[in-house]
Amino acid sequence: MQTIAGPTGPLARAAKVKTRMGGSTGETGSALWLMVPALAIYAVFTLFPVAVTFWLSFTNSAGFNTPAEFTGLDNYARAVHDPIVWQALGHTFLWLLYHLVLAGGLGLALALAIGSLGKTRTFFRTAFFLPHLVSLAVVGVIWANIYDPFFGLINTGLIGLGLGNWTQGWLSDPSLVLFSVNVASSWQGFGIYMLLFIAGLQNIDSSLYDAASVDGATPFQKLVHVTLPGLREVMTFVVSLALINGLKGFATVFVMTNGGPFYRSELITTYIYRLAFQSQDHGLAAVLCIVLSLLAITITVVFTRWRARLAQ
Amino acid sequence: MFKFLVRGAAIAALLAASGYAATAETLRMWGPEQITEPLVAELWNGIKSDFEAANPGVTVEFMPPTGTISNGAVQAAIQSDAGPDVILTNSGIGRITVVKNAKQVVPLTKYYEERGWKNQIYPWLYADLQGQFGGEIYEVPDGLDALGIWYHKDLFAEHGWSMPKDWTEFLALMKAMKQAGVQPIAIGPRTPASAGHLFGNLLQSASGTDMVRKALKREIAFDDPAIAAGAVRLRELVDAGYIDKQMAGLDLEGASRLWFSKRAAMFVAGPWFTANARKAGYDLANAGYAPMPSDLPGETKPTGGVGWSWLVPVSSKQPELALKWIDFVLSDAVMKKRAQNAASTMIYPRALDGVEPSTPVLKEIFAAAAGGVGYNPSVYLPGPVVDIYFQVLQGVISAQINGEEGMKQIQAKLAEAK
Amino acid sequence: MTARNREWPVALALAPVMLVLLAPFAWLIMSSLKTEAEIAQAAPFSWPANLMWRNYADAWQIGGFGDLVGNSLLNLAGVVALTLITCVPAGYALAKIRFPGREWLFYAFILGLTIPIQAIVIPLYEVLSGLRLVNTLTGIVLAQVSNGIPFGIFLMRSFFISVPDELVEAAKIDGATHFQILTKVFLPISSPAIQALVIISALSTWNDFFLPLIVLISPDVQTLPLGLVRFAGTYSSEYRLVFSGTVISFLPIILLYILTQRRFTEGLTQGAIKG
Repeated sequence: MQTIAGPTGPLARAAKVKTRMGGSTGETGSALWLMVPALAIYAVFTLFPVAVTFWLSFTNSAGFNTPAEFTGLDNYARAVHDPIVWQALGHTFLWLLYHLVLAGGLGLALALAIGSLGKTRTFFRTAFFLPHLVSLAVVGVIWANIYDPFFGLINTGLIGLGLGNWTQGWLSDPSLVLFSVNVASSWQGFGIYMLLFIAGLQNIDSSLYDAASVDGATPFQKLVHVTLPGLREVMTFVVSLALINGLKGFATVFVMTNGGPFYRSELITTYIYRLAFQSQDHGLAAVLCIVLSLLAITITVVFTRWRARLAQ
Repeated sequence: MFKFLVRGAAIAALLAASGYAATAETLRMWGPEQITEPLVAELWNGIKSDFEAANPGVTVEFMPPTGTISNGAVQAAIQSDAGPDVILTNSGIGRITVVKNAKQVVPLTKYYEERGWKNQIYPWLYADLQGQFGGEIYEVPDGLDALGIWYHKDLFAEHGWSMPKDWTEFLALMKAMKQAGVQPIAIGPRTPASAGHLFGNLLQSASGTDMVRKALKREIAFDDPAIAAGAVRLRELVDAGYIDKQMAGLDLEGASRLWFSKRAAMFVAGPWFTANARKAGYDLANAGYAPMPSDLPGETKPTGGVGWSWLVPVSSKQPELALKWIDFVLSDAVMKKRAQNAASTMIYPRALDGVEPSTPVLKEIFAAAAGGVGYNPSVYLPGPVVDIYFQVLQGVISAQINGEEGMKQIQAKLAEAK
Repeated sequence: MTARNREWPVALALAPVMLVLLAPFAWLIMSSLKTEAEIAQAAPFSWPANLMWRNYADAWQIGGFGDLVGNSLLNLAGVVALTLITCVPAGYALAKIRFPGREWLFYAFILGLTIPIQAIVIPLYEVLSGLRLVNTLTGIVLAQVSNGIPFGIFLMRSFFISVPDELVEAAKIDGATHFQILTKVFLPISSPAIQALVIISALSTWNDFFLPLIVLISPDVQTLPLGLVRFAGTYSSEYRLVFSGTVISFLPIILLYILTQRRFTEGLTQGAIKG
């Protein structure tokens, strides 16, 4: 006869489960209490909105707090046929690339230079980090004025230097505008990547350099064979951070061009804002929200795997 | 550390208590736009205290606007708990349609009869409003816009220029300006409405009021050559260098800076531009105003329509007080007080006898608009179309597309919006 | 790295780069001290005839920068405090307590680490509006904290994991509860991680634009970046005020950084790498 408390009874089974999960009732209780504040806020202001966004993408919602009907995949079909969606997507990829090269590249170059400094190291590190402290929205205000074709720093400066025919419509030339805005954004962004690379340089075993010196390596060979491989892990981290930061790019575009002229600097994020808060086309906006999330998740997963492989 | 956490909790609790609620007899008014300018503030504070004196126990509170219906600021404000009780904002049928469809504003139709508002605005204006939403009216017009060309009197005198009578002469004038090293026209299409101001003028000049009305009522297509002509002209001005392509990246303020510093000769704007000019320290006595020249007889006139309106949001906590406020604003005393004030920046919704505008340029604008005004498409196009309309204008000004193509895109969006 | 004799050549090479990268600051500060007429001359290399300190007083007064700074500080204090209250205990629980569903919960938080705030903005706005939190600092604080929770938990968890389990076991034998272990044993040794969390959440809150743009409508609750953009939009006919207002908006944080730059740098890099 089996008893509840017997070796194969439900209680024992429950106990076994607990052992397998490695917890006990008391432990689970205190864990829950410690998690409640975070869970409550996170569930209401992040998880629930994620779920609703998903739902919205299948509806014809046309405004906040307005009733919406289920329309199946209509919004997805509309997204595919909307040329601006494709433009925004293309611009977003280009934007990521620019940001990676401009901000990531500058951060790396400066870190390599600053890493070799002694006395003046702190001074340069502090000075080069200053732009990162300016809010991106404020950066937008500053650079919109720098780029002003008739009164801005760049064009008037070029004229002042006698280089008048180098002046450009930085924010009006369709082939230039996305790059120009990205320069402003990257000017704000490179500082943090520089700091991360400097920290990475400090973690490289100095005996490797000594060994290289003994082998008679030139500074360039040391860079290629010691420094850069030593930075590989930081590098993957910086690249993923830069991609995610780039994906979130909004403020500078919103302030400087609002996506114009003629959608030539429209990003997914600015198009979401335009659809959600100006045209009140929430269904289509929700589709773009999902696209944006998927991009971010893909980037994160790919780079986490890559880093894990490197760490092995 | 624990102390720190406790202090943190106290701050969080304090924050939770800081969401505010409106007091019982406060009328929160969204607007007016330029309230941060001293002259405007003085005028409105005067109106406010007159109203408070007439309604004991009532306090009027101004909410400086953070935007318009076009950029969603008004809608967001209506939805918020701190929302306004009565709203003064840039209007026009396109914008009103947005808030009407979102069921955010109260219909005011019956009050036009009950409170006699229909006798306090131009009869043609009342008829126009009645025709917009099948008889239902959601706004009370506060002021009308009249967009035309602003120019510098001294600059024109110096070069012996004068405002021409027809388009051909106008082209010749711009050529002369360019040769004299002055930018003929400044425009800031990054501020959406601003691109529409110039374009509305060109449309009026090329096609005339009747044609534009037909297009806006969708009786003819926007890409019909008779309407596309305005867009073609815009592109011609760009190609001839009369509008610098680089201006595609400017906003209204950046472009008006070119005009105020006299690096540009002309600027298309309405009476509200007096406020910008005053802020920039521009001598208003030097400003001249003329409608865009047209080859069509009788079509050389400003464009515009209802520029600003009063709305009562559904979330108004003081709907009765809001109506009283509108009564008050429509009264002779307030309207004349505003029209004579130096801060006055618009045309009023009814004829005001014996009122002398405060600046000479306003007098010129009133005179130009006396014979009626043409349409400013920005305020008549439906919401989802307005966005592409402004982007297309940016596209034409930055020479990315030609006029016909641009109008085709606008027409496509119009067709989609049923 | 290697020989110190490379110090001065490298420093000399870096100087012009620094000049170019910091030129926007120089131009901005110089322009902010000019008269409107001097700015209109569009001569970037000319000094102002008189230093117009008045521009700063005017911008401060007209732009209501006192209120904006106050709101930004309140916003920052709320987010930092609430982030610590939520992330420290949760990070501890996920690192040191074994309970069913732990992995699952952790992945739910990781999901939030990747989803950009713009991707959930529509329902987020509706939630805030339903709770009557639109146009309040409370609303913005809750949304920002929620947005920062995944990172905070991740950071605290990876720090706590590095603390030996024996510490927990020993305290448990003494009869301590998990809450006591967290506050008495772990917190005293966690200052590097907490410092990093404070710096990172403070900096991202101070600079946030997107959420305030959507949630904060009236000027009396707006924060600095949004307030400045609004100010620049309304007052851009007076560029002297736009320029001085811009300087006002970033000067406090830059001064704070220069004063605390070592700690700041450490916290930021450690936090970013661990997270």
